[in-house]
Amino acid sequence: MKKVLWALVAFTMLLGGEAFAQAKKDYKIAWYASAVHPYFDGVKKGVEAFEKDTGITVLKQIGPDWTQESETAGLEALVAKGYKGFSVYPSNASGVNAIYKEIQSAGGFAVNFGAPSQQPTPASFTVATDVKYAATLATQTLIKLMGNKGNILNVLEVMTDPNTVLRKEGVELAVKAMPGVKIIQEVADITSIEEATEKIQNAIAAQKDKIDGIVCTGYTTTVATAQILAEYNKTAKKKIRFIGIDDDPVVVKAIKDGYIDATIAQNPYGHGYISCMLNKYLIDGYTVKAGAYMVNSGALVVTKANLDTYSSMLGAVTADILKKLEKDYLVAPKK
Amino acid sequence: MMRWFDNLRSKSEVGTIGAALVLFLGFTFLTDSFFTAYNLFNVGRNLSVYVFIALGQAIVMVVGGMNLSLGAIGGLATITAGMLMQNLSWDPVSASAAAIAVGIFTGWINGFVITKTKLNSFIVTLATSFIFTGLVMGISKGYPMTKLPESFNILGQGNFLGVPNLVLLLVVTLLIVWYFFRFTVTGRHLLATGGNLSAARLSGIKTDKMIVLANMLSGAFAAITALLWISRMASAQPATGGNWMIISFAVAVIGGTSLTGGSISAVGLFFGGLIMVLIKNGLILMQVDTYFEQTFLGMIILLAVLLGQTKELKSRRKPRTIEKDLGRKV
Repeated sequence: MKKVLWALVAFTMLLGGEAFAQAKKDYKIAWYASAVHPYFDGVKKGVEAFEKDTGITVLKQIGPDWTQESETAGLEALVAKGYKGFSVYPSNASGVNAIYKEIQSAGGFAVNFGAPSQQPTPASFTVATDVKYAATLATQTLIKLMGNKGNILNVLEVMTDPNTVLRKEGVELAVKAMPGVKIIQEVADITSIEEATEKIQNAIAAQKDKIDGIVCTGYTTTVATAQILAEYNKTAKKKIRFIGIDDDPVVVKAIKDGYIDATIAQNPYGHGYISCMLNKYLIDGYTVKAGAYMVNSGALVVTKANLDTYSSMLGAVTADILKKLEKDYLVAPKK
Repeated sequence: MMRWFDNLRSKSEVGTIGAALVLFLGFTFLTDSFFTAYNLFNVGRNLSVYVFIALGQAIVMVVGGMNLSLGAIGGLATITAGMLMQNLSWDPVSASAAAIAVGIFTGWINGFVITKTKLNSFIVTLATSFIFTGLVMGISKGYPMTKLPESFNILGQGNFLGVPNLVLLLVVTLLIVWYFFRFTVTGRHLLATGGNLSAARLSGIKTDKMIVLANMLSGAFAAITALLWISRMASAQPATGGNWMIISFAVAVIGGTSLTGGSISAVGLFFGGLIMVLIKNGLILMQVDTYFEQTFLGMIILLAVLLGQTKELKSRRKPRTIEKDLGRKV
């Protein structure tokens, strides 16, 4: 029985260790995603393209959950293994800074992808959508769809996330600019699709005939609202207009079927490719240009009209950023 | 009439029913959108999902255990049904049967490990929750399944004479649960196992079998809830079950299921679920400040539970006497 147990332990360790064996000695770049998620699949494609184009192997590790504790433990292990360049999705905007300090002390570099860490931060760069801009863009698009007047239900996610505060500001900024539009209700503190479904449906019930449009600036709430409206807009006398964020298959299907209007697509491919490229430059001795930190990876409004072409449009945005990287964000090492 | 009223008052669920009624009437008068067809329809659907989740927990609490892997089993059942329908074009009935089989099998694993190793159900189901969640994520890679047959949505989205199909299914299920625990030998054996394990064993009940059975039923309820959720959302989300743990314990305990085992109430579960759903619904209808929502939620749950326990608290303060008991019987 003991032998069987030891064999099982050894097998599990072998499985877990497979990813480590891929690391290449030269650059020692690691890519770390919090958990299994379709968004990270898109980012991983960008990392793989970087590997193909540069010949540099990147260690790709996906954590077990969205907690900062798990992420910190995972990154600590990689620091101990001598990795220098880290491309990381911060599970918690403020909590991640502690491990970034450790990375910095060990002579390494951290580049955020997907979301920024809270300022002041030891991270060298953040490659992400400008969340406030994306929220403003989404709300402006929704207001246009509503005919520049009416009531909006603003759906936010976790209020303790600094990015949620920025998204809230972005939505409010767009609404403030339009006198005929107001936020009729705000729903927040949502962490799961089930919770989102319940809360959003409750809010629709509360303001049923008054809501003209819904804006969601988080992934979970967008998926839930797309599903709710796929059912609601089928039979409702007055269609509720909607814009969300990210291109989850549920959201894309709802746009294709005509139940929802639009979503804001981020650039996951660029998040992966550009963050790894920045790590390469930093390991090569480049330093961060004064004032450079945020690399805006772009965001696009996706509607039924550009559903088939938006991916290539985002690819062009990535290529453009890569061209400007040395000039706009970095200082070359002195020879 | 007085006897009937006394009989009713002696039921442990009366407080829970009273608390639910107070909330129902309160929100009806405090908001103009509570008592509307659309809202009540959704309250009914949420109630159904909440109670099915709670049934999965209550059934193992009956034998003195708990199931922390309930949500993870729900996730496994979700991707099983979703993948079978989307990737292998299985019909909804066969895919649902397979998902329930997965739920029962994973429940059996929990029960088997608990009874064979004599480890606490908390430890065992905590460990299996990680195993099952890992399988869900590893198999699905986090992608939802959206190409499901339209006919599958009838249960979650349809209604009969305005009553959500989910509520009808819930009522039938609770009637079966009530009958099972009240009138069947197996049901009584389950209660006896949780009430006093040693006494049950000494009286000839195969307690290990009962614990395994309770875990299998728990897995089955988790799988059924997952199917109802897929049917309601018209897609199979791998993240399904992520928030079930708190709901399962809260509804079960508010509904009168004992944490130490030996008791369950179908009526209590229904009204316990209703209390939770009404509070969450009412807070949004009343547009409570989102920053303080959790505070209000906690306060109202506490008040509702206290209201539900008033009778018990009173009886604790005034010890029963033989004379009083005799007087009541007369």
